[in-house]
Amino acid sequence: MEFLLENILNLVGFLVGLTIGIISYIGFRNTGSPTLFRLAIAFLLISLGFFVIWSGYVLEDYIIKSGKIDRGIQTVGIVIQTVGYFFIAFSHSIKSLFPKSNYFRSVGILPFFLVSTVQVEHIFRSVSFILLVYGAIETILSYRDNKNKNAISIALGLALLAIGEFLGWYSFVFPESILYSMSITIKIAGLIALFIPVSKVPLKKIKFDDDLDKI
Amino acid sequence: MAEYRTQLKIIGDILSTTRDDLKDEDGATVTYLIRKANISHSRISTILKTLVSQGLLEQADSQGSNKYKISQSGREFLQAYNSFTQFTNNFGLNI
Repeated sequence: MEFLLENILNLVGFLVGLTIGIISYIGFRNTGSPTLFRLAIAFLLISLGFFVIWSGYVLEDYIIKSGKIDRGIQTVGIVIQTVGYFFIAFSHSIKSLFPKSNYFRSVGILPFFLVSTVQVEHIFRSVSFILLVYGAIETILSYRDNKNKNAISIALGLALLAIGEFLGWYSFVFPESILYSMSITIKIAGLIALFIPVSKVPLKKIKFDDDLDKI
Repeated sequence: MAEYRTQLKIIGDILSTTRDDLKDEDGATVTYLIRKANISHSRISTILKTLVSQGLLEQADSQGSNKYKISQSGREFLQAYNSFTQFTNNFGLNI
């Protein structure tokens, strides 16, 4: 069951990430906007991360058949996704993630020391969680300014991905529990929430124009 | 507090003004664009030069003063700009 859910999640993640990444890239080519460039990098990396993990599962399912996915492949996929989440957070200006107070700075880096003894995968899951929470908060704050209801769906999607990452990271404490399946289901819901507003954007008549990106 | 506008947003404002606000078919004067786009003369001169060289605006001499009209490419760019502004707003970002 977990294996099937993982495959669905990674396939959905790959397709949603790829679609949003391509739309962002088309937007960048048409307008030259640096924001769209960062979004394109973010979602193409997220898509690639899901693809790497998915190919790890397919490889395991059809070739290796050891009954357990290679942790190295999974870690590489998660690291790539984390870099993608970083670019989403970076688009919102990453500097406000770290408060100026020395006290908060010291507390802020504490979790990195706490997780320093666990696997790289879990470190990156925790980093992803922080970046996704930051992205969700910034997106919901933008709703206050522009009252764009689609921003709620994007914020919800990022928040669900964050909860999914947290449960996935936490499930290593209880490896055989339902936590990991819950984490995957919540992440699939998050990806769907991310895709809904993007699918409503009217892009039909837009075409590439090589000259326009020079502005 | 005044909203920060990116270069692209200023270009979008100039193109929108030349497409939507003009009753005069000859185009908009620099003074009109400065007022509507809320931008300094030196900055708008550079932007207008770039927009004309990219083919997004057409420059016409009318009774001794330069006037600017949106071109077909400019209309297509503006359409793309508006769609992708909505797209980035969904993410809580500015284009």
